[in-house]
Parts: sequence; C-alpha cells; structure tokens
Amino acid sequence: MKRLRAVMTKEFFHLLRDPRSLSVVFLMPIVQIFIFGYAISFDLENIPMAVIDQDRSEPSAHLAQDFERSTVFALKPLSRAKAEGDFEAANRALRAGEVKQVLVLSAGFAGQVRQGRTAEVGLIIDGSDSNVASRIFQYDQMIIQRFAAGLKGLEDVFQVKTKVYFNPESRSVFFFVPGLVAVILLMISAMLTASSIARERELGSAELLFISPLRSGEIILGKTLPYVLVALAVGSFILFFSHFWFGVPLRGNLLVLLFFALLFVLTGLSFGVLISALAPTQRVALLGSVLATLLPSILLSGFIFPLDSLATPLRALAEIIPATHFLRIIRGVAIKGASLRHFLREGASLAGLSLVMLSLAALRFTRLRRARR
Amino acid sequence: MRLFYLVKKEVLEVVRQRELLVLLFLAPLIQIIILGYVITTDIKNVPVEVVNLSNSRAAAEITDRLRASPLFRIVKISDRPEQAEEVLRRGRVRAVIEFRDSPGRGRFSWTLPEVHILMDGIDANSSQIAAGYVNGIIKEYLQEQLGRVGLEIPAEAKALIRYNPRLRSINTMGPGIVALLLTVLSMFITAFSFVREREQHTMDTLLMSRLKPMEIYVGKALPAVLIGLLDMVLGIAVVILWFRIPLRGSVFYLFLASLLYLAAILSYALIISTVVVNQSQAMFFTWFSLVLFLMLSGFLTPLESIRARAPALAVLTEVNPLRYLIKIIREIFLKGNGPAFFWRDLAALAGIALVLTSLSLLNFRRFISK
Amino acid sequence: MKAVEVSQLSKRFGDFTAVDRISFSVERGEVLGFLGPNGAGKTTTIKMILGLLEPSGGRITILGLDARKRRDDIKKMTGYMSQQFSLYPLLTVRENIEFFGGISGLGRAEIRGRQEALAGQLPDALMRLQVRSLPPGIRQKVALFVSLLAGPDLVFLDEPTSGVDPEARRAFWHTIYSLREKGKTILVTTHNLDEAEYADRILVIHQGRIVLEGAPRALLEERKAGSVEQLFREAISSHEKT
Repeated sequence: MKRLRAVMTKEFFHLLRDPRSLSVVFLMPIVQIFIFGYAISFDLENIPMAVIDQDRSEPSAHLAQDFERSTVFALKPLSRAKAEGDFEAANRALRAGEVKQVLVLSAGFAGQVRQGRTAEVGLIIDGSDSNVASRIFQYDQMIIQRFAAGLKGLEDVFQVKTKVYFNPESRSVFFFVPGLVAVILLMISAMLTASSIARERELGSAELLFISPLRSGEIILGKTLPYVLVALAVGSFILFFSHFWFGVPLRGNLLVLLFFALLFVLTGLSFGVLISALAPTQRVALLGSVLATLLPSILLSGFIFPLDSLATPLRALAEIIPATHFLRIIRGVAIKGASLRHFLREGASLAGLSLVMLSLAALRFTRLRRARR
Repeated sequence: MRLFYLVKKEVLEVVRQRELLVLLFLAPLIQIIILGYVITTDIKNVPVEVVNLSNSRAAAEITDRLRASPLFRIVKISDRPEQAEEVLRRGRVRAVIEFRDSPGRGRFSWTLPEVHILMDGIDANSSQIAAGYVNGIIKEYLQEQLGRVGLEIPAEAKALIRYNPRLRSINTMGPGIVALLLTVLSMFITAFSFVREREQHTMDTLLMSRLKPMEIYVGKALPAVLIGLLDMVLGIAVVILWFRIPLRGSVFYLFLASLLYLAAILSYALIISTVVVNQSQAMFFTWFSLVLFLMLSGFLTPLESIRARAPALAVLTEVNPLRYLIKIIREIFLKGNGPAFFWRDLAALAGIALVLTSLSLLNFRRFISK
Repeated sequence: MKAVEVSQLSKRFGDFTAVDRISFSVERGEVLGFLGPNGAGKTTTIKMILGLLEPSGGRITILGLDARKRRDDIKKMTGYMSQQFSLYPLLTVRENIEFFGGISGLGRAEIRGRQEALAGQLPDALMRLQVRSLPPGIRQKVALFVSLLAGPDLVFLDEPTSGVDPEARRAFWHTIYSLREKGKTILVTTHNLDEAEYADRILVIHQGRIVLEGAPRALLEERKAGSVEQLFREAISSHEKT
C-alpha cells in the first residue's frame, strides 16, 4: 500500500513538473470546442450560386428570389456572362469553384406553369464535395416544393412537418462535445499510460515490474491512477465548460455518468497497459496507442461519421470499440436526458471490454516475466 | 558531399527499424483503405420508427416504400401513439415518422395523411439528410397520385451533377484522406526524428562535427520529405486503384502541390519538436494542430459557411496549408483543372511553405546554439 | 603554445553558477585527467570547450586559436569520443566509419583505407554487426577509432572506460599512451579514481571550481596520501569547508 502511494506520488510529480503539457491538455479541447461552437455548423450558409434566367418572367423571377432570400445561398452574378455567354461563364465559375451551383430556368418556364404542366427547374451542381452537394440539392428541393405548392395552392397537400428534438438550432457543439470528451479521456488514459510504462521499460527501471505479480500490479496501478484522475478532471472540465458557455445540455445523474466515464477510462488504461507490454520503445508505444485507440475511436465510434452507413463488417468492428458505447451513453444520458436503464447494455459492454483487455495485458506481462527467468 | 553521408545515415536508420517501416508504410496504406470505407458521408440505413395512426392507403404505401428503400432501416412499425421524444432519447432510432389523418381534407379522391418527421437533432447532419429522403419519397408518391388524377406537380428540380455524378463520397474524401494521412505521418516523423536525436544525445555529436547547422537541418529534413512523397505516391495509387477514383488532371501539379505542402507541415512539425520537451508533448501538440487544420480546411465543413458564421476564424483558414491542398487536390482529381484555375492556391501554399521553412530553419539554429 | 588554455571561464544558468571563473591549461602532448563528482561542473566545462555551450564569461583558446571565433578551424583539429553516445547503434561498424569519415571530409579511398585498418584489429564478424550488438569493450575501441578518423591533434575522451572490464581498460590506456607517443594531446574525464594515476596530470573540479591540480604522483607524495581517492576526498572536504 505504501509502495502504491509512493509510485503514485512520483508519477504525479512527474506530471505536475510539466506545466506545459498540463496546459495543453486543458487548453486544447477548449479551443476545439470554441471552433466547433462558433465556426462549424450543420446548416449550410452563404453557399455561392448563380442564376441563368432565360425566361425572365414573373414566375421565374419569383423562384430566383426564393433562392436569394434563403440564408443557405448567396447569389453571385456571373462575371463573364456578357463576354462569353451565360453557359460558358457558368461552367467556368463552377469549375473555378466560384459558385457551387447554377440555377437554370429555360425559356418557356412561365408557359409551362400556366399550362399546368410540370415546369422543369434546372440545377447544375458541383458534385466534387458530395456531402455539400447532397445537402444543397435537398435545400433546392425544399425551396422548389414550397414554390410549387404556392403556385397551385397546393400547400395543404404537402403536409410534411418536421420537428427537431434535443437540438432545435442544429448546433454542432451538441454533437461533437461528447466525442471530444471521449477522445480526450482516451488520449490521456491510453497514451500517457503506455508511454509512461514504456519509458520505465526503456530506462531499465522496469525490472521491478517483473519481479512479482502483486508488485507489478501495484506498480501499474500506481502509474496509471494519476492519469485516471487527470483524465476525469479534464473530461468533466470540458463538459461543464461547454454546458455553461455553449449551453450544451447536461442532464441525467452526474454520478452515474462519472461511473461510466471511469469504466471508459479503464478501457483506455487497460489498452495502454497492453500496448506498453507489447511495445519495445516509448516511441512505438505512443505511435501504437495512437493508431490502435485514437484513430478507430474517432472514425468508427460515431463521433463524426454516422455508424449506420457503414458496411456490416465495419459496423461489427465498431461494436468492440469502447468509444462507441461510451458515446451512446453520453449522448443518450447527458445530452438527451434518457434514463440509465436503457443503456445497461452499453455499460456492460464497456465493463466487458476492459476486462478482456486487462486479462490480455496480464497474460502478456506473465509471459514476459517467465521469459526473464 | 557531407550531406550525402548524413542523408544516407538517416535512411539506414529508418530502414533498420522494422517497426518504424511498418508504421510508416504499411500501416498508412491499410488505414487509407479502411478510412475509405469508413469516411463515407453517404447516409444510408438510417434507423427509423414508423407510427401509423392513419387509416389511409397512402400511409401504408408510403411505409412500404420506406421499407424497400436502402436509405432506411425500419426498426419498428407501431399503430399506437408513442412518445416520440422518449423513443428518440433511447437512441435506437434516428427519427420517428408519424402518419396522422387530418380531418376535413379530402380535396381529392384519395387522402394524403399528415406526415410528421420527428428527428433526433443531435446528429443534425444525418437527420436532416434523412428527412430530406423521406420528403423525396413522399413527393414521389404524391406525384404519382396527382398524375393519376391528371394533375401534375407544377415544378420539379432536374439536377445535373457535375464532376461526381453518382455523388460517391469516396471521390470527395479519397484524395483528402491521403492528404490527411500525409499530414499525420509527416508530423510524427519529424517530431520524433529530432526529439529522438536529442534523447539519444547524438545531436551533440553532429554539432561537434564539421557539419554546418544548415546541413544538419537539410540532412534530417530531406529523408522526411522523401518518406512523405513516397507515402503520397503509394497512397494515391491505392486510392485510385482500389477505390477507382478518377484522376482527371495533371499529376505533375499534384506532386508540386504535395511537395509544397510537405515542406510546410514538416517545417511546422520541426518547430513543434524544438518547442517541446518530450515525446508525449509532441504527440499532444501534433494532435491538436491536426484537428485544427482539419476543421478549418473545408474538408468537413464548407469554407463559405465558416466565413459566414465566424469571420474571425475565417482568417485562420487563409493560413491553413491543408485548405489549399484539399482544394487543389479536389480540383485536379475531379474537375481536371489546370493551373490556370488554382494558381492562386498554389502560390498561397508556396508562400506558407516558404515562411514556415524559414521559420523552422531560424528556430533550429537558435535551438542548437543555446 | 598550449593545447588548451582556459581563463576565467564561467557558466551561469539563471541564478545557479555551474562553473565559477576557472582557469587552467593543457600542455601539448600530455594526458590530462579531469575528475569530479556529478554536477560539479565537469561536463559543463567540457561542453564549453567543445563549443556546445556558450560560456557566460571567460576565454578559451584551443591550439592557439580563439574558441569562439575560429570554431570551424578548431573542429578540424579535434576529435571527441563518448563511449555511450558517439556511435549510431543501428549502423554497423563499417557504416559508422563511413559516416563519420564522410562528414569529416575524408574521400572514398581514405574511408575504405580506414575501414580496412580497423578490420585488421577486430574479428571479421564484428565489422558487419550493428553497433548496438557489440560488447562494450569493442564498442569503446570503435568509438575511439572513429574519434581519430580525421587525425586530430587534440582528443577529448568522455568517460571512455565506463562499463568496461579492467582488462580492456588497461588495454585502452595502452592505446592512449601510444597516441601520446604520436604527439597527440588527450583530455580524459573519468569517474574512476584509480584511472587518475594513469594521467600525466589531474584536475579536480568541485562545485564549479578547481580544487586540486597537479601530477598524481607528486600530489600523493606532497599530501602524504595513500591513494588518489584520499586526495580527492580531502580536497573536496577542504573546499567545502571554505
């Protein structure tokens, strides 16, 4: 017990003597949250587009105005239209990226409308960014639908109402903050653990680790506990900060959340221990922990990219990534305010995963110990 | 001449560390392939719940279409009212689609029920696109019904998608993934190369030799650039051959842009590695910068939106080398643009590379003559 | 002309004075032993002489040249060996020679010649081994060889015999003497106090100051000490008292 405390204190001092690291660890996420909060949004805004109106009738002008009035789009004149002709200029502007789409209303538009036929609204869209292009097209359709409904007095036929829950202003912070917390927790627990233990091995002072299982257990615990505390401190700090500054909801029982965060950190730790048992040098430990924990957790956990779209094998892979479960818990309980009993499965998965990894690490250490005899 | 020996030693050292080779060449390739499948912004398989409180045939038929569509995965169909908010809270579905009969309608011989799309706004991006899909399906249905009674939808969008007609997200993301990986790798290579030398104390040895500081700098940077370029070639080859992304423009400018970009981020990484005390710090700083570059590059969110919402931050996008690289790469790959279109971005990239390289050189000299 | 002349040399790190106005000189063709506990300022002094640290004050003259102004010329005439750190562990013996020879300006033929010269002194198999797999005694030999590649007049040996068995240590000092025969000046830092007796003169540094200087045998007689260790301890304790 005393040994444990000694190791812990040494590790703490090591951390504290490094104010630069600490400030970075706290500051980094805050800056990221700021950027997410202010700059990144799910709604498109100010997307440049051009209009070629060959009909120049009242309906066509009306439709063009509908586009202009939308906050999503910003109408830009075609600079070389006089010289090159509308379509040439439009093509060039599209290619240069000056506009992302061109609205084409051909002559006879008004005529078609009057005759009760379906008037075609031409849209040339820059598909090089497929996500933006899809969103643009959807906004287009909404605008056109409204226009169409207005024409024929068919408003009441298009009876589709949408309502957004939990995030009425579509703020991206709500979506990203849980992921950010998960990533930070993971980074601190996995990376620092792995590098700390690997560092000992490199320096040779790790002979202690291999003397006896009880001792090595204590030492590992002592080395990793400080990081647990730091990780949890930083994670909570991020959550509270985004709550108070950006209004990200923080519901549910905070103690329960803490418990799950602990479980998650435990998985990160066990992974860090496992990597440090496998890695010969500190550098490899760090790189290995990054590749094996950080990248998959960011990409396959639903942090940024939706899980549902993934092919089945990848989706299965996602299920053994602790971050996936943790994210579901945070999003469900903290942000949406769901009650915990719906997330018992995720909680069990977290516990199970950390158990597996800890046993693997223990096994590896035992084998290493035997090899030394 | 002396430089040659230094570069040779660097290359030998890298080649002799098998794990490093794996990390530098094999791992990135595997990651590119995995990333290509993962970073899909195509939305499909969205889990939804349908609550059908309407007796109309329309509701049943629309539900059938939803079920048949690969865009959706219907988790549950209920004919009793549900607390949508609670359902969404549990997180098993992304949206609840509710059909309700509206009283006093029947303008037509058939009835279109009220459709309520209740979305989980946390992943607003997916939800909105999903709602758009539902709208699309309903509109299609409506069109058919109207057509049957001789009416037509007054106006319809006809879209021509340029450069990426099937809107494959891999076409958008693929080249960007290579750029991303390049960035991650280069940062790690450099940061570790110099930190390692310092930790090994062989930096003193180099300094005491007849090598000039400039030579030491170039001797360490050159191999890093070579490794980066090699990775880029491999990455692009993978991306083209495996994912069949079209490469319509000039390979030469692709290389030029990548070279400039490499110079910029390698210099950046060098500056970090001299500012940093140990490898953990290097890792944190690198990660931090990476995310920053990424968010403000136009890779995930369009730059126009950022400019509209936060003009102050938009300034950062102007000095972000990744932003220019992404733009040039996308234009070369998908639009087949020549330098006439992106010379400004190329110039900006060159400028940034120049500034960063000079800064890192100055920093290096200062750092070694402490 | 003396090999090294140090006058009022100081180094301060903030409030802490690591080296406090020390002055000494090294005669040409002598073997000088540099002794002192860790943190005494030994390493700092050596680093300043080698040009790795900027002095806070004082002058250093090496082979008649001002160390600050003529560093490049000085580099052509000095060699450095650190048993732990001067070789690249992942490279083979041959490759290390090629590298250090190359950056010292040796031509291809010369490098090859040197490689063969060392090959004559070592078992064949070892030449192609990576340095990290070499036994410490051999590594030391190679490190010394590498430091002499460009034929320097002045050689600095930093803890050259640490981790090496007594037999190899004796052989090493033989080599040092033969270097001295060739007219080279050698500065050796060491922890090992018995080795001090091998040097022509010793210099003991403690808390940034020189506390003992002179030929070992003469000092032993003068101070009626039984061993260098005793000399050492007495010098340090008397310095601490002042």
